[in-house]
Amino acid sequence: MMKKILISGMVIAGLSSVAYSDVKIGNPMARTGPIPELVKPMSAAVDLAVEHVNDQGGLFSDGQKYVAVKVDSACDPVAAVDAVTKLVNVEVVTGIVGPVCSGATIAQAESVSIPAGVVTLSVSASSPAISEMENGTDLVFRTAASDAYQGIALAELAMSKGIKDIAVSYANDDYNAAIAAVFSKAFTSMGGKITGNEAHEPNKASYRSEVNTLGSGSDNLALFAYYGSSGITIMRNALETGAFENFIGADGMLAQEVIDQLGAENLGNVTFTTSASDSSTDAFKSWKKHADAAGVPASDPFVPNSYDAAFLMALAIEKAGSADRSKIAAALREVANGPGEKILPGEWKKAKEILASGGSIDYVGAAGPQDFDKNGDVAGLFSKNTVVDGKWKPVVIK
Amino acid sequence: MEIFLGYFLYAMSLLTVGGIYALLALGLNVQWGFAGLFNAGVAGFAAIGAYTYALLTTAKSQFHFGGLELPLIVGDITAMIFAGIVATIIGIICIRLRADYLAIATIGIAEIIKLILKNETDITNGPRGINKIPRTWEHFTEERFYSNFPMNFISNPKGWEVFFDSIPKWWWQPFFACTILIVVIIIYFLLEKLRVSPWGRMMTAIRENEKAAAAAGKNVTKRRIEAFILGAVIMGLAGAFLGQHLRLIEPTQTFDPSKMTFLVWVMLIAGGSGNNKGAILGAFLIWFVWSSSELVTNGVIEILATMFDSVDISILKNRAGFIRMLFIGLLLQFILQRFPKGILPEKRPAISGKSQKYAG
Repeated sequence: MMKKILISGMVIAGLSSVAYSDVKIGNPMARTGPIPELVKPMSAAVDLAVEHVNDQGGLFSDGQKYVAVKVDSACDPVAAVDAVTKLVNVEVVTGIVGPVCSGATIAQAESVSIPAGVVTLSVSASSPAISEMENGTDLVFRTAASDAYQGIALAELAMSKGIKDIAVSYANDDYNAAIAAVFSKAFTSMGGKITGNEAHEPNKASYRSEVNTLGSGSDNLALFAYYGSSGITIMRNALETGAFENFIGADGMLAQEVIDQLGAENLGNVTFTTSASDSSTDAFKSWKKHADAAGVPASDPFVPNSYDAAFLMALAIEKAGSADRSKIAAALREVANGPGEKILPGEWKKAKEILASGGSIDYVGAAGPQDFDKNGDVAGLFSKNTVVDGKWKPVVIK
Repeated sequence: MEIFLGYFLYAMSLLTVGGIYALLALGLNVQWGFAGLFNAGVAGFAAIGAYTYALLTTAKSQFHFGGLELPLIVGDITAMIFAGIVATIIGIICIRLRADYLAIATIGIAEIIKLILKNETDITNGPRGINKIPRTWEHFTEERFYSNFPMNFISNPKGWEVFFDSIPKWWWQPFFACTILIVVIIIYFLLEKLRVSPWGRMMTAIRENEKAAAAAGKNVTKRRIEAFILGAVIMGLAGAFLGQHLRLIEPTQTFDPSKMTFLVWVMLIAGGSGNNKGAILGAFLIWFVWSSSELVTNGVIEILATMFDSVDISILKNRAGFIRMLFIGLLLQFILQRFPKGILPEKRPAISGKSQKYAG
């Protein structure tokens, strides 16, 4: 019985293998689970990068097709490990552009991809733990900045607004807890005072008691939460009771929904940061042109990062000269960090020609310069967002 | 050739996770199949096992308590003991509750365990979880193991490094899968022994007619607590293996009830509750379908795309995850309609000894 199941499983698995001359990368993303709406445009950005590569000559001198195999990591370690096991073993992918959530990224890397020697290039995992994860290998990279940077940026923002004391409330999940910890540390070291620092459980009907406790210490609130699960409710409770005057927060809170539900007139003293792209650079303009043409929302969270990751992976494979997994990490560093001719989003043909003639390139991405440091991290740019005319208006912090 | 190795390693991974789910299903079978205890808190006991194992065996860390660096087998055994202790406390308090009330209580307890793990950040690193959990067999390739007793007794660290470089990197995968399968087999035989023993027959009597069993002088409460603890101990061990397989555990997503508690229930019901073989079959079958269906849906979408090239398939690709869930749901419906008592229905234990083989 067991044997039959196993064999039929393998036969079925064979169905999914595509033509042999393709170069496959794995693209696990949280397509189901808690954040499918966030992931949809990110996935579309990966598709756009793949399209650019294939439309402009494909990979290598014989124009092999660049294929992203899409699987579901569901923001969950169990699902991510299972999905990436299939990618690495059955689909035999060259590299992974991928998992969205930090926990899923760490689990799949430690459990599957690092032991197999496959490069992971995450598009949005932002946990500081990823920087110090590897032990003598160089296989995990990311095109999104670590929370360590955004927490500091937010502390600097608070200082520049003249805030001297602040209460911190964060949703008790891996993302918000991490960024709250970095913020508190940075704010204290800059001479600020944290009057209260409390976790809250998401999805409660009311947060009045939390708001009251924190509100007794300070008029300023640093809120780290997802708008849908607890953020809006806390803001509403805080506005109703008048416990706080100024609000700052990070990208989990940045959504039109917040303005629609709470009313723009109540959100005068609210500033949220998010990882952003400097829209004045040539790279971003080039990206925006392509994204608009394809109907991909260019400035949504982690969408440019997703494009950069898929494009960088293609450049690294081209640079390595074959789909050999072991050469990708070194090639990735070379094409991302330079020195060499600057390559902007969408310029696959140009990059291919330079590489073919033995030249070197330096990819400048839609989300930023995308230069990897020794941990495989990139520095991030952040924007501060305030409500103007009923919409969030981003201003890049430089 | 490489592709066959790939399929082999994927099969190993299927057997590993299938084996872990089989352990969970066997544990639940003791509680539900034997004793009729409706435990809706499987995830909680698995989490206790996983966290106990992780805290005892990981290297020292600034993020969480200890990292006691104990031998892995100590971690496995302590995981079982801890799950057993928690089950004892819960059992003494809750076991007198009738089936549906026990279900509510255990759901609550699993949530309490999750919230404790999430909020005691000094011990567990809270929602960010514990990573670098050592995995049986693979851990030999870590420096802290091969440069210490007993491995340094056989060869010096340099020698081990050379040795591990000389063998394929995936060598530990079949060993790890086999270890889990052997544990499943051992526990299966122990539970089979138990099922046909006087204790097992008494459990059936209690499950089928509690009052009659009590009238016959059986200590119903005590027996039920025993079954509850035994089931939880097996779940704790499964949790320890799950932690090893994932190498990162965090309380929110890893021990999500839909994937840890209710999926295990589905496995047990589909396979046949009350039947240990059924529990194992259900676990492997459902996990194989769960995992390999992703390859099928991807393949089907590719085929659709080549058949009708005017249709835009990108929308299908984004929805593939949901289509897969629907597919699994339909399959479960089919199994439950076709086999209402599970694929392998329960066989009542024989009276004893020789007449055993004549029993139906």
